[in-house]
Amino acid sequence: MNWTHVKLIFEREVRDQLRDRRTMFTIFFLPLLLYPLMGMVMFEVAQFHKQEDVVIGVVNADKLPANHPLIESKDVSIQWKRVDRDAQLDHFLESTSNFSEESNQREKTQYSKSIEQTLKQYEIDLLVHVSEAAANEDWISSLKVISNQRWERSVVASTLFQARMEQIHKDSLQDKLAHAGVDSASLEMPRLNWVDVSPPDSKRSIIWTKILPFVMLVWALTGAFYPAIDLCAGEKERGTLETLLCSPARRREIVWGKLLTILCFSLGTAILNLLSMYTTASVVMTRFRGSPGSEMMAAMGPLPLHALAWLLLLVLPISAMFSALALAVASLARSTKEGQYYLMPLLLVGMPLVMLPMVPGVTLAPGTSVIPVTGAILLSRALMDGEYLQAFLHFPTVSAVTLFCTLLATRWAVRQFESESVMFRDGARTSMKHWIRDAWRKREATPTANESILCGLLILVSLFFGRLSISATELTWISIVQSTLVIQIGMMLAPALIMATILTKSLRQSLRLNSFSFRELLACAALAVVLHPTYSVLASIIGHEYKLGEETVALLQQFDLILSAAPIWSVVLVMALIPAVCEEIVFRGFIFSGLQRDSGHVRAVLLSALLFGLSHGVLQQTITASLVGLLLGWIAYRTGGVGCTIVFHFVHNTISMLIATSSSRGDMVPEWISWAVTTDQGAWAYTDTWNTLSVGVAISLIAWIATMRASSSSRTPFFVPSKIKSVSP
Amino acid sequence: MELVQVQNLTKIYPDSVSGEYRALDGISFSAKAGEVFGLLGPNGAGKTTALRILATILKPTSGQAKVFHFDVATQADYVRHSIGFVSNNTAIYDRMSAWEMVEYFGKLYGIEEDALEERMHFMFDQLQMRDFRDCPGAKMSTGMKQKVSIARALVHDPPVLIFDEASLGLDVLVARALQLIVKDLRDQGKCIIYSTHIMREVERLCDRVAIMYKGRIVDTGTLDELAERHHQGDFEELFYQLLLRGDAPMESLFAGGVS
Repeated sequence: MNWTHVKLIFEREVRDQLRDRRTMFTIFFLPLLLYPLMGMVMFEVAQFHKQEDVVIGVVNADKLPANHPLIESKDVSIQWKRVDRDAQLDHFLESTSNFSEESNQREKTQYSKSIEQTLKQYEIDLLVHVSEAAANEDWISSLKVISNQRWERSVVASTLFQARMEQIHKDSLQDKLAHAGVDSASLEMPRLNWVDVSPPDSKRSIIWTKILPFVMLVWALTGAFYPAIDLCAGEKERGTLETLLCSPARRREIVWGKLLTILCFSLGTAILNLLSMYTTASVVMTRFRGSPGSEMMAAMGPLPLHALAWLLLLVLPISAMFSALALAVASLARSTKEGQYYLMPLLLVGMPLVMLPMVPGVTLAPGTSVIPVTGAILLSRALMDGEYLQAFLHFPTVSAVTLFCTLLATRWAVRQFESESVMFRDGARTSMKHWIRDAWRKREATPTANESILCGLLILVSLFFGRLSISATELTWISIVQSTLVIQIGMMLAPALIMATILTKSLRQSLRLNSFSFRELLACAALAVVLHPTYSVLASIIGHEYKLGEETVALLQQFDLILSAAPIWSVVLVMALIPAVCEEIVFRGFIFSGLQRDSGHVRAVLLSALLFGLSHGVLQQTITASLVGLLLGWIAYRTGGVGCTIVFHFVHNTISMLIATSSSRGDMVPEWISWAVTTDQGAWAYTDTWNTLSVGVAISLIAWIATMRASSSSRTPFFVPSKIKSVSP
Repeated sequence: MELVQVQNLTKIYPDSVSGEYRALDGISFSAKAGEVFGLLGPNGAGKTTALRILATILKPTSGQAKVFHFDVATQADYVRHSIGFVSNNTAIYDRMSAWEMVEYFGKLYGIEEDALEERMHFMFDQLQMRDFRDCPGAKMSTGMKQKVSIARALVHDPPVLIFDEASLGLDVLVARALQLIVKDLRDQGKCIIYSTHIMREVERLCDRVAIMYKGRIVDTGTLDELAERHHQGDFEELFYQLLLRGDAPMESLFAGGVS
């Protein structure tokens, strides 16, 4: 790569962007203006809010004795208004009585509307009806308070009135105690001696550490995308990209020059926003001191400078990742208008990763550190909190993940630039009729990679909605059988079979129903047995890192209990055999064959494993299933069909089911397998000996399978016996 | 000396409607130094595709093309240093002045600073660009922009120049100026591939022509050779006859293709 070209392109692009008023406004001036203006508006609103008192109307105020604390209130936020009784008010009060007794929803709505109108008519936010019993000792309970919780002002009035009543009650109690000669202070709980050992700096940064990384990332993404659109789609639109493409600069150099430019603007936007927001917030907080809520403001305080420095340091890798992603996505667009459409999907994908660290209880751990973006935010938070050891431990993982994602996105961007169909895409209209006709006419023995991915996505979407409707039903053995059949056959197998029938010429080749030898079959069955201990260890580690919710754990326990009560043959059939057959035909059959045809076996293994993992719906299972999917994909590639993977999958499922149901029933481990399986707190678990030994056996089996001939779609169907195959011409 | 050699060049695009679109179907031609070789054809004939392949912007599906003896598919870096490419698609940057734009490309071609400045002064004088050297692209007229594009393509003094419908949208004065520049470049010994569908331009500029239709070369030769071969002195009429002979119903001539 010629770095002089990269430098020249970078310098030109930066200069070009700096000369663009729109970019300068969005990237630089907007953040500088936005937050101070927002701060000013907050001041205005706060002052406006302070001046607005709530109005509480009192009916029958004359029934209260003179100097009654309710009317003599000195609360500055409440305006008391005496409301005289008349026929209309009487009707209104009667309506409110009916309102509480009325059970009919429609009637209630009608009453509610008339009550709202009356409150508006009297210009009050809350109405207090003093009854005849007001002169009594328990006058508070005789009050009837009518509010409309739909109105913000009525909600505020209710809160203030409640506080006022509590104060009156407390004062009255203290008077009584004083008359009885009891010191009212004894009613107060003695003050606890709290000692907060957190350093003032980190205490102040708690809220900042949650807000600022979020702000930083959102702006890093936004700051990356607009220049990316201009540098790719904008150049295509203006015709200058072709000028650059015929220059001596190679595509890779053009991408790097543009990437560095986008990175600069992404960094600039994020940092400017961060500093502007931080400065404005610090000023606003200083001004708000002494007003209500000032304790919280004081707790936030200014962010310690070292924390800010960590944040600024970490914005670099994140901006780099977003810049590469934005460049790759923007290069797909033909015009700036089209580029804008691509912004939303990128934001939608990025947002959950940015929001995840804000969920209470999510901290930097081995599990969270491997999640792109999330891990980086959590790392920055740990550094800002001064948790240096924790940050140091996870720094390599977070850096590796971020670097990997950045390089992957950059590579994608380079590919986009090298692709003629992307760079010189014409604006041909999309015609469903033509597409279907073309797909039918050009169909081959196996599906295309796009058709495979479409099939996978269709399955994922239907599973999502299917599971939502199934989760509402009561959990019984029958419902489990029904839902498994619906999911496996209706939502997984059926779409793949339909697509294979319509879009391909050969069901056998598209579903990879090829022959296999019994040696391969036995090896895969044995591999499933010997790999199960490793799988169990892996699942427990993942379960430890990504803990399941209490409800899910309870549901799974109930699930195991139901399975343990069902006949064993039916459990094996429904929970082991049917999923093994359906999932393998779908993921290692249809999806794998399409991906292998167009993208090669490595991508076929990776993508089919990912889709297989995602089809499991629960994060913990998604991870373990994806890992198992990698192995199954590899076996499918080596053995050339789904026969061996079905056997592996079936054996694996059967063992999992047997262990789960036996553990639920509290069965004793049979003597003949006691060398491999033991009981740990009532649950079946593998012995350490077998855990270690099985790894060795598994490696040997994998090595043996690795020596097999690689996959080819020309193998004969598996329903043709090998002997016939060998004598046929 | 043949500086451009095209042998059996084919380019197939994937097409969402028909499956694939054969933009070039085995074309062959060659062009020498000091010669203007015209590539003629209606819209969608494949001219732009052929020239984009020569400029290494596109890769051929099959066949071979050599520019200055370098293969466009395998020696693209060398080819790019040997050509200057001007097309109606190669726009100039709106926020760069004429001087900056030419200087930028000169640096990309790796020209030393002093030599670049000398070359730019020479070109700006020759192309009469002094008046608008500091004018940003957005404020330039079409003629000014075209001159900047030519200066950008000439800055590294390439032996081969490719003009792809470069006179499209130019007024008479600017078009005439462009023709003079092209003639001057030919006299300097450059090999020029000139694509157009304006017959007058062909008659004035081109030493030899290839008439393209539907991705194929229908006929090639000097204008006199073509006139003699087809017994037609009027070149525009000859062009029509050739297209009609090449199974082209008249209405299809108005149908656009991939450009």
